[in-house]
Amino acid sequence: MREETATRTRSGHMIALLRGLREPVVVILLLIAYFTAASGKPLDGLLMAIAAVCLAWDAGHRLRQAGQSGIDLDQAYADPGAEGPATSAAPPLSRRRRATVATAWLTAAVSYVLVVGSFIRYSWPATAAVLGLGSVVVVTGWRGPRRPRPRPVKPSRAGVLLWLAVILAGCLWELQALLQQPTLLASSYPHPTISTLTDPVLAGWAGRSALLAVWLLFGWFLVER
Amino acid sequence: MNSHDVTVTGYLVVLAAGVTLQLLSRRPGSKIPSLGAIITAAMSSRTLRVAILVGWAWLGLHFFAR
Repeated sequence: MREETATRTRSGHMIALLRGLREPVVVILLLIAYFTAASGKPLDGLLMAIAAVCLAWDAGHRLRQAGQSGIDLDQAYADPGAEGPATSAAPPLSRRRRATVATAWLTAAVSYVLVVGSFIRYSWPATAAVLGLGSVVVVTGWRGPRRPRPRPVKPSRAGVLLWLAVILAGCLWELQALLQQPTLLASSYPHPTISTLTDPVLAGWAGRSALLAVWLLFGWFLVER
Repeated sequence: MNSHDVTVTGYLVVLAAGVTLQLLSRRPGSKIPSLGAIITAAMSSRTLRVAILVGWAWLGLHFFAR
């Protein structure tokens, strides 16, 4: 009886995973993982693949739950007041406390940028620092928005398609440059990828720190959505 | 114009297209959403939210880590 239940649970996980693997965004992440690993960054590719599989499993389970309960889980997720991740509304902070918190965040961000920017590119300290922060943000983000927020206005379909066309064009242009390199591991002057073009900037401490600051700001922007 | 210039021009054209869309989205009554509005809407879905955050983490790893 117990064995039968365990087998059913295992097959349930497998079905959820297979269902989640059909999500377009999971396919995109897996393609990025493949090309990243093939172009000489196996750790980066492996982490991306692990994240994609976890996301597939999670998406599959949620699709199954939505099918069984009839609830729009994404709506519940975006509006935690209804149902979903418990991001309770914290009492508003006083102005002084807000200033203290903002100063602490700013100090931490500037210290991170200066310290990690001083590490040699592709070194283990740089890897640990970026991987640590990236993991914390992804795991925290998995739980949902940091605070309750109104459901955002749905953008027009035509507008979304326009932006997708621009992003896709950028990705395809980068891909054609990558595929025209002598090998996937050797950069090419005639067909530079974005990484190749940014190499001179990232060679120095100032450039690394500046780009790290941009990366952090973008991450902050995303976490606040 | 050599291959290097053509490739770089391609990136600049894509960047210019993105900047143009963003500027058009700022006009009053524009039907084009800003990139921020699209990201905000996408973040309402758990799958897309996690995928976007994973993409951000990947960017950091790609440019700085092993």
